[in-house]
This record gives sequence, C-alpha cells and structure tokens, in this order.
Amino acid sequence: MTKQHQNWSPYDNNGGTCVAIAGADYCVVAADTRAVGCISPFTGAVRQKLGMLRVISHLGMFGGELSRADKSLMASSGFQADVRALQKVLAARHLIYQHQHNKQMSCPAMAQLLSNTLYYKRFFPYYAFNVLGGLDTEGKGCVFTYDAVGSYERVGYSSQGSGATLITPFLDNQLKSPSPLLLPAKDAVTPLSESEAIDLVKTCFASATERDIYTGDKLEIVVINADGIRREYMELRKD
Amino acid sequence: MKIDFSGLESTAPLCGANSEMFDGISTSPSFQIPDTTDFDDFQKEAIQMVKPAKGTTTLAFIFKEGVMVAADSRASMGGYISSQSVKKIIEINPYMLGTMAGGAADCQFWHRNLGIKCRLHELANKRRISVTGASKLLANILYSYRGMGLSVGTMIAGWDEKGPGLYYVDSEGGRLKGTKFSVGSGSPYAYGILDSGYRYDMTVEEAAELARRSIYHATFRDGASGGVASVYYVGPTGWKKLSGDDVGELHYMYNPVEPTVVEQEMSEA
Amino acid sequence: MAKVEVDAPPKGGFSFDLCRRNDMLSKKGVKPPSYLKTGTTIVGLIFQDGVILGADTRATEGPIVADKNCEKIHYMAPNIYCCGAGTAADTEAVTDTISSQLKLHRYHTGRESRVVTALTLLKSHLFRYQGHVSAALVLGGVDVTGPHLHTIYPHGSTDTLPFATMGSGSLAAMAVFESKYHEGLSKDEGVKLVCEAICSGIFNDLGSGSNVDICVITKGQKEYLRNHLSPNPRTYVSSKGYTFTKKTEVLLTKITPLKKLVDVIEGGDAMEE
Repeated sequence: MTKQHQNWSPYDNNGGTCVAIAGADYCVVAADTRAVGCISPFTGAVRQKLGMLRVISHLGMFGGELSRADKSLMASSGFQADVRALQKVLAARHLIYQHQHNKQMSCPAMAQLLSNTLYYKRFFPYYAFNVLGGLDTEGKGCVFTYDAVGSYERVGYSSQGSGATLITPFLDNQLKSPSPLLLPAKDAVTPLSESEAIDLVKTCFASATERDIYTGDKLEIVVINADGIRREYMELRKD
Repeated sequence: MKIDFSGLESTAPLCGANSEMFDGISTSPSFQIPDTTDFDDFQKEAIQMVKPAKGTTTLAFIFKEGVMVAADSRASMGGYISSQSVKKIIEINPYMLGTMAGGAADCQFWHRNLGIKCRLHELANKRRISVTGASKLLANILYSYRGMGLSVGTMIAGWDEKGPGLYYVDSEGGRLKGTKFSVGSGSPYAYGILDSGYRYDMTVEEAAELARRSIYHATFRDGASGGVASVYYVGPTGWKKLSGDDVGELHYMYNPVEPTVVEQEMSEA
Repeated sequence: MAKVEVDAPPKGGFSFDLCRRNDMLSKKGVKPPSYLKTGTTIVGLIFQDGVILGADTRATEGPIVADKNCEKIHYMAPNIYCCGAGTAADTEAVTDTISSQLKLHRYHTGRESRVVTALTLLKSHLFRYQGHVSAALVLGGVDVTGPHLHTIYPHGSTDTLPFATMGSGSLAAMAVFESKYHEGLSKDEGVKLVCEAICSGIFNDLGSGSNVDICVITKGQKEYLRNHLSPNPRTYVSSKGYTFTKKTEVLLTKITPLKKLVDVIEGGDAMEE
C-alpha cells in the first residue's frame, strides 16, 4: 500500500539497563525503570519517555509479590512487549512445574528453561536481553547472562541493555576474576560483601544515567540471600 | 520442506498437554515461524538485531594416541567483546566432544540436543553411539534447517569402537570425515602452525603443545579470537581436559621478556 | 564526438557533488558518520519589557550524552541572542557568521542592529543551503522598533510569534506555553514560565537534559543567566570511593643521561627573550 508499510517492523527498542552480581551467599539484581518509545513509529525521530516499569520478575505468579521461596530473579531490557510475553511464559511454565513437583525450580534449571524458551523462537526472536540471578542448589549466588536467541553462560556478574557498554568495563575493573576455563583452576569468587555489592550497583547506575539517555528515573534493586528476598529503590536522574 | 522436530519432543509429556488453554506453554515445543511473505529478508533483519559470537578459532586433529581438540574462548558482537569465558568445547558425553563456531545459541542448543539423542541411542541399543552416527544425526538436523539462517560450524571428535573419530559438520549441510580440521575466523592462522608442526606419531604432550601453540598464534593475529586456550584430549578412556591457559600469559611464555643490562637504577622518591 | 557539458562549481560555499552518492550509499545500508547533535529544548517568549530566551544544556551523539553542560544561547549582537537546535557545528557556525556580518553592518551604519536584519541574513543563508545546514533557531532581541521573537527552520522559513519553541523537546515545552502564556507577563513571571517550559523538555524528552540557561533582553540591557537552574545533580556517590587495584608492573628501569650522548656547552649564549 503506502511506503510506510514497507518500513514497518515488529520490533521496537524501549531501552533500559540491567545488572546482576553474584556473591558467595547472595545475589543482587538491579534494573532501571525507564521505558522509552517513539512518537512516530515510522521515523523514530522523536523518542520520549513512556512511563515507569517494574522490570525485575521473580518468576512467581506474574505480578505477584516477592516470596521467601523465590529462587530466581530475571531482569530484561529491549522490547517491552517481548519482555512481558517472555516473563509471562516463564512464570506460567514455573507454575506448572510447581504443581507437578511440589517445589520451586532451582536457578540453574530456570536458566536452562529460559535458554530453551528463547531458542524456540530462533526464527522470530524475542527482542529481549536478559540476566537471570539467584542462588544455586548449594546456596551460592549465581548469575546467567543471555543473548536474544538463548545462548547463555554462568558468570560472576553481568550487565545487559542500553547502558551495558558503560557499566561492563567498570565491573570488569572492580570484579574481574580468573576465567573458569583455566586449568589448574583458580579461585573465582566475587570478593565483595553484600552491602559493598549494592553500593557498587548504585554507583554503576548513577554513572550510566549521566551518559546514557535511555537509562534513568528510578533504580529497582532486588537482593536474594539465605535470609530471604527484599526489594529497594533508589532515585536516578530524571532528565 | 519437512523440518525434523524429533529431538524437541518432550520425553515426559505434561498433563493436559492438548488443552487449548495451555496453547504454546505446555504443548511439545516447536519453532514459531513469523507470519511474513518475505521470510529471508525478515530473518536477515531480525538476526542482525540479535547476532552474537562470530569470530572464533577451534581446531581438532587425530594422531597416534587419539584426538586433540582445542579452542579459544572469546565471543564478540561486532567490535564489542561480549565474553572472554565462553566454553567453546562442548562435552556431549564422556567419549565425545563438539566444538562451537558461528552462532553461539545455535551451537549450544543443537549440541545439547545431540547429547540427548546420543544418550537415547545408548539406552535403546546398550552401546555407545559411533562418532560417525552422532555426526550424521547432527548433519541431518542442520540439513533440514538449511536456508533458514542457522550458523553452525562444528567438529565432532570422539572415541568409539573403531578408535578415534573426527567429523566436520556445518549448517550448510556439509559433513566431512578427516584427520585435521580448524574452523572459525582464526582458522587460517591455526592451520599455518598446525600443518607445519603436525606428525602422526606425536606423543600426547607434543600434540597438546601443538594445539595450544596453534590457538595462541591464531588469537595473536585474529582480533575476534582470544581469552583462554583450552586443550582437550580424547583417548580410549574418554576425554580429559589437559590445559586452559590465558593467551596473554601464553604470549609471555612463548616470548619471554629479555632482561637487558640496567645502566643505572632509578633512585627511590 | 559527444557534447561535453562542464558544470564549473561556483567559487566558495559548500559542494553538493557527493549528495547523490551519499543518498545511494545510505540506501545500500552504509552508515554516515554521526554528528554531535543537540537534541534540544529551546524556547523564547515576549514579556512586558522585552524578550526571554531559554535552553537546556545537553548535547548528544546518538544515545550517548556528549556534553552535559553546553551553551545553546548564542550571541548575535549586544541586543540580540539566538538559541540553536540541530547539528551543534551548524548552529554555532551559522550564528557566528551572521553575528560577524551584523557587527560589520553596525560599523558601516553606526546604528544598533535590528532583529529583522539578523532574521533576513539567517533565513537567506539557510535557504541557500536547502536544509543541508541543519540549524533550527529561536531568535530574540529588542531593537529600536521594540521586542521581537522569531523561529527559523533549517530550510529557511520563519515565523514571528509571541512565544516559540524549537528542537526535539518543542512539543513538551509548547504544552506549557499554550496553557500558561498570556500577554503582559512581568519579568519574574516570564522567567518562571520559561524555566517551566525548559524543565518540561528536560524531563520528558530524551534529547534534552541537565540545566536551564536563560537570557533576558530588555531595552538597552540584557541578563545572561547561565545555569539558572540545575535540577539534575548526580543521585548517588559512593561513600568510600573507588581504587584501581592493579597497577602497571615496573619490569625494568633504564636511564640514559643526556650528557653522555650530546656535548653540553656550559655557559653558552643565553636564548633571546
């Protein structure tokens, strides 16, 4: 029909940044709450803030409150429609798992499930960039980082989304540990206490917000440890 | 065109799997194809948005004692290094290894899938699958997806009843039997070292050193390869990881800093 | 033999020879180099004694903030200022050029510059370059004929308005003006309204941010309020600070005294001052 339809794309990028850090007995997952969209989807010329979001899903009943039993946290950036659909599918699969096995799925199992879920849409990918954090079966903090079609890796820390290029080098500098592939193996635990890790995450986001226009408004931080799970917020620049 | 979904069917079917209420959640998974007239163009665009891991150096060769497999560990997205700790040698079962080059997700997913199929073969036939058979399973799957944008360049290395086996399989449908392969953007550099230093009657130590050196030289010249050079050996008792060295450390090992004569020490403060 | 047409390029100015080539390249998917853009909110309004101009201070390069505190209100003449949006280099170059022409004109005539003079010079310059000089301007000043406010679009068209907004945040800022502007504002009311309009751009438009700059021009005097408001301080500073643990190892120290390699003449001629 018109020329505009030729340029139509099923995807949009709503921006946003996620960070996760695994410690010896805790895991911190954080994301900003800004969502960004175009006034005109065809030109993409003027991008404005759409509103505030809750981006970290604890993969319980979608939209439900944090529960002590939660073992995995997922933070995503990219196209919000895909992100919501993906988190909903995962929460539903998790609910079925709970009914069938009468327990919560472990974080490494959830990591594999997320990978498969992403890969099943290999030819029409979810435009979502995810980090998954939680405690593994031994109670250690774990972080899994993904690409949009499901390749994943267990790491000590990760950053995804529009501010990732600003945050990752800083985390590399502060937290880089010997590669897990080394043989003989070297000890590779993030040497930070929980409060230090939260402090680091706040600094990362305050810095990323200074320079990345897609990151800002508010920071949501969820911490999971042996005592349970808690959420806190911090204000970010709003311009 | 018929696509092979056999590997995707869940072995433990869920209750109420056919209910419409669970559509897309608990039914046996399959690949969703976008509803578009120009699939090729859509693929090109969609994959451009999400494409990871391209540059790689992997190699494998058969010698007197078995098969040596080695790889770097870098994943890059354009000019950005997205990871320096990718496990590019995938452990399919205790006697078989696969290597990873091309799309990271494609390799990871289909190697895991191959692992499932190999285990099922073992349970059904009370014997381990041959390297020939396993590589053919993978090649058949990849061939059924030919032209749909998968990007896989892999080597299947292992030890079976006939001794050491090595196959190269790619997403274009190719499957080659051989004794010496290198795959990825750094492969020309790796071949350079490998071809000049290769002998069939090497010891395991010599072969491991050759593999390590080939990976090191490839990471030195190829910007998309780097990280850790992992070396695996597959022998009659299965695979074993022999070494994992940071290529930065290897550089100083192969090119030690020559201490020069100090003419005058700088005084403190 | 075929007739050969020779298009001799006019002397000086821009050459458009490569425009068609660049169009073709961009259609084939080649990305042109990015420029520093001031995705911007700039505004101006007329109040009872003169003109108030306002601007944010963010300059961006794609998704990255390149300058957190740049100046977007440019000097044209002692009684005329101009806010610029678009490519930073273009807005600066075009205002500087016209500013210099205005100064020459003042030397020539011995009279204060008029806003319409600046307006005509700007629009004819921009029109000549057919939108390739990407500068969107809000021009304001007070001259012998009273206060004036104009907007100038990159292609050279102009508007004359009691209140105006430009740049990517123009919609957000205009919403404020449309609801609250009225004739005969006092200076304080005017400054407050301009602040509010700029803040609306800063908080709702991604291309605009950081601080508010304001310029108040009245008969015979002007007030340039650089960073009149700073509503966006950094929200978190770590209490302990950060160190970079790994230092470069000193493997070898070698000092070659210069005296061994060259002859040094003690007490030679002193260098001329």
